[in-house]
Amino acid sequence: MKFLCIPCDVKMEVQTEGIMPEEKQNLVMKFKCKKCDYSIAMLTNKFETEFVSKLGVEMGGASDVSKSPMAAVSSSLAQAKEELKSTNPEDDLIWTEEAEQRIKKVPFFVRGMAKKTVINYAVEKGATTIDAKLMDEVREKVGM
Amino acid sequence: MKTYEDLEGDGGSNIIGQVVQLGEKLRSRLDKIKHKVALMSGKGGVGKSSITANIASCLADRGYKVGILDADLNGPSIGHLLGVGNDLKLETKDDGIEPGHGYQGIKIMSMDMLLKTADTPVMWTEEADATAVWVSTMESTAIRELLADTNWGELDYLLIDMPPGSDRIDNIRSLIPELAGAVEITIPSMLSQHIVTKSITKNNKMGVPIIGLVENMATYVCPHCEKEGKLFAGEDVQKLTERKEIPYIGKIPFDTRVSQSKSGSLFYSEFKDSIAGKAIAETVDNIEKFIKK
Repeated sequence: MKFLCIPCDVKMEVQTEGIMPEEKQNLVMKFKCKKCDYSIAMLTNKFETEFVSKLGVEMGGASDVSKSPMAAVSSSLAQAKEELKSTNPEDDLIWTEEAEQRIKKVPFFVRGMAKKTVINYAVEKGATTIDAKLMDEVREKVGM
Repeated sequence: MKTYEDLEGDGGSNIIGQVVQLGEKLRSRLDKIKHKVALMSGKGGVGKSSITANIASCLADRGYKVGILDADLNGPSIGHLLGVGNDLKLETKDDGIEPGHGYQGIKIMSMDMLLKTADTPVMWTEEADATAVWVSTMESTAIRELLADTNWGELDYLLIDMPPGSDRIDNIRSLIPELAGAVEITIPSMLSQHIVTKSITKNNKMGVPIIGLVENMATYVCPHCEKEGKLFAGEDVQKLTERKEIPYIGKIPFDTRVSQSKSGSLFYSEFKDSIAGKAIAETVDNIEKFIKK
């Protein structure tokens, strides 16, 4: 799927920082026209987002999370063994229980990107802990 | 106004690139495996996993390098049959996960190895409103990952222990187009024969080669005097193979020692000279003949 800015006749570019799914598996992807800076958001319902998952791909491009073995299984399987869970170097940040629960509710194929969005915001802000409040701020920042 | 074709690339997710990458990863793994064989049944409870494990045992006994993919995601039993417990610590490397090494060095990958405890069920979410679509898509993705992200290494045979029913074969067929074929398994009961017919018909329609039909629990063998008797009333299974024009490749009697074998020790390797052991060997002869054709 591609998006065209009609007035400029230019392809709109996906804003990876703007991918932030809702917890109920609805998804928002932001696109921007690099010529006129006009932004739009593509909204999908959970059935549409689930359908994409069959391909085992990530919206916004593959992240490091998807490159680790059994990425989809490890991130989606309830009660998986600990050693199956991949770790990211940025994970020095402390996630509160509530924040962890919220990110776990994000569908696996956009979870990596969503996590990256939150981490980047936290790093930019100088935060050491990711909590529900910070995640709300991220949501607000990406326009949800 | 520009059209889809005028715009370079995709929406920015490089979906095609990602799919190609996933395909290449799977292909590089499968290219090291000579023969891939699916073992399936229509009905559950016909001894499919037990037959799979014992066929693997016989192949390993003949000097082949063998692996088993337990594609029965929700009823995994291969780990138990081959002595790989749920307490096995997973060895995760950048390029994949080490398979479990079962009895006779048979490599296995099963959902049971990935779950926290032996009595944990496979659940893709603990949310009450999980949709059937979500579960189904996750199962397809899981099969791909179990195949592509396991460090199988070089194998002569990869046996795929399918779940009961014929729905998962679509998935396996698209992931492994070079599948050598499917071994169908039934017991003599009319119900089991009725259901396996659907699986045979589906494979024929999909162009999945059928190696043949195995009749499991064909007779009962007394462990004391080795006399055989009938266990199920039903039409001759051989007639079914004639009707469906597929080879009849094995008639395996029920032997109480099959279920009594300790976890980690397979019936075939312990009792290869028994009537059931010889029947398993004959089945493997027929599988080998089909593959060498």
